[in-house]
Amino acid sequence: MTELTTEQPLKKKRFRNLRENPVTVKELRSRMRGRRAFVVLTIYLLVMGAFITLVYAAYASASSGPFGPDPREVGKVVFGCVVGVQVFLVIFVGPAFTSGTITGEKERQTYDLLRTTLLSAESFVTGKLLSALSYVLLLVLAAIPLQSIAFLLGGVVLEELIISQLVIFTAALAFALWGLFCSSAMRSTLGASVMTFAGALFVTIGTPMLVGLFAATLAPFIATLSTSFTRTMEIALQYILIFLAATNLPATLIVSELFLLQEDAIFYFMGSAGTSRFWLPTPWPIFILLYLLLAWVLYWLSVRNVRKIANR
Amino acid sequence: MSTIIEIQGLTKKYGSLTALNDLTLTIEEGSVFGFIGPNGAGKTTTMRILTTLLKPTGGKAWVAGHSVADDPRGVRRAIGYMPDFFGVYDDMKVWEYLDFFAACYNVPKSARIGMIDDLLTLVDLNHKKEAYVETLSRGMKQRLCLARTLAHDPQVLILDEPASGLDPRARIEIRELLRELKNMGKTIFFSSHILSEVADICTEIAILEAGNLIAHGDMEEMKKQLRAHRLIQVKILGDLGPLQELLLQHEAVQGITPPGEADLPHDVVQFDFGGNDETLSNLLAQLIAQGIRVVSFHEETGDLEDVFLQVTQGIVN
Repeated sequence: MTELTTEQPLKKKRFRNLRENPVTVKELRSRMRGRRAFVVLTIYLLVMGAFITLVYAAYASASSGPFGPDPREVGKVVFGCVVGVQVFLVIFVGPAFTSGTITGEKERQTYDLLRTTLLSAESFVTGKLLSALSYVLLLVLAAIPLQSIAFLLGGVVLEELIISQLVIFTAALAFALWGLFCSSAMRSTLGASVMTFAGALFVTIGTPMLVGLFAATLAPFIATLSTSFTRTMEIALQYILIFLAATNLPATLIVSELFLLQEDAIFYFMGSAGTSRFWLPTPWPIFILLYLLLAWVLYWLSVRNVRKIANR
Repeated sequence: MSTIIEIQGLTKKYGSLTALNDLTLTIEEGSVFGFIGPNGAGKTTTMRILTTLLKPTGGKAWVAGHSVADDPRGVRRAIGYMPDFFGVYDDMKVWEYLDFFAACYNVPKSARIGMIDDLLTLVDLNHKKEAYVETLSRGMKQRLCLARTLAHDPQVLILDEPASGLDPRARIEIRELLRELKNMGKTIFFSSHILSEVADICTEIAILEAGNLIAHGDMEEMKKQLRAHRLIQVKILGDLGPLQELLLQHEAVQGITPPGEADLPHDVVQFDFGGNDETLSNLLAQLIAQGIRVVSFHEETGDLEDVFLQVTQGIVN
């Protein structure tokens, strides 16, 4: 019998040429086919453009200066708005694409067909991830020209742009993988979507609220204790706060921006506790490490779920 | 011929329900194996275990020498699987659908173009190459799915109810396609409810009921084994009385169905005959010698439905 299939070397198989991943090719072909994708992209950019124009107009009308608003401040506001939209995209739109991608195959009754092919679980998950992520990244990248308006106006440095985009790309990967993991674990798209958005909301809004609630509850107790705080405890508390900020995307962006502006700190800065000074990291590198680790764990779990042979 | 599918003591339990009970079966290479049984008999469960989609509770199975538990990838390379219910990607063109699955089977890009044309010719869908899958009829989708199972030139085709839900013409097309595949040397293991179709193309059958294998073997042998006696129909001119009297006196005749009963015409008598060909020939000679004007004298061949009804008890329905 003619052997049509080819067995590639293990390494090549594992890191199968991403461009030729059949799942990516199929998904992108379907997603980009016709006018839909381009219409969505156009509407997205038009809405973003209108939003920035509105922000500019509102800021200009509120300005009391004789020469209109300070362009540097407007630049900062525009930059902040675009980053805000990108954050929304990676937290909610990316996972929305991935949360239905595997359950969709189950509901469409094509999952079993795929699982009896030679497509490995790694290739399947990678293909699904890349196809969903590439469209979200297309939306994020398409917004960069709008972001660049902030450079024309001034007030934004290159480091801010690089840090924000690095953090957003990492978050996009982790949140998309969270959606993919939910999709691999659940039977229905509805269940996977609920689980995905519940998780995304908890990480983005729930944890800061919990920390805030916890802090507010403990504030009187801490205040009475603060006089007896040792220097070590004070330093530890500052590290804990930085670490907590690094678990949350908006908090990471805001705190990193503040340290960049106030301390001119990209990676670290000198903190103080009483008379002593010590090195404190900025949250964004911790965020990137944490979320990359999380992404890797979610990828591994998704692959395991896909590879698993059913008991029922 | 060598064994291509071997099943030993395969068992699947869902809680207290035993879907498959200690199934042992071998299927020879190149055979067309019909797997029949009522709904819930365990046919799909067996097929899902053989295609590495379901873990058995007990027992072992091998396909083309690969263990379904220990070497699922080897099994997947050897099989083409078509489930009873399957979906298609509606937003893909017919050639894209086959190209996608061929890529999933690691068929090199250079080999795919010619292969897609060959497969579409085989399933008579060449004229639909550029059409979207959503525009195909159910029969066409079924044929496309069959073409998909052949993308990597597998040794074994495992087809779960390949003709279910199709109109008569589409069923005939699928049956012809299976014949073609049989001629190409493929081993076909398929389940069906349409017993006449199984009888038409199968070389072997297995009958399953409530998870138990109740009959298995060569198609013709099984019919013989399960029918210890033969049904003979006689059509004569004139009075049927003397014929019936004579038959009742014959030692090899075990019973008579009078005319008008069991859908028999009014000039035909049917009787159960327990003898061999020589005794039967002597009986015919005796009838003629007695002056009975015989118009026709023939044996009714039992079909698969008779076999099925005889061996199954309707435990699962």
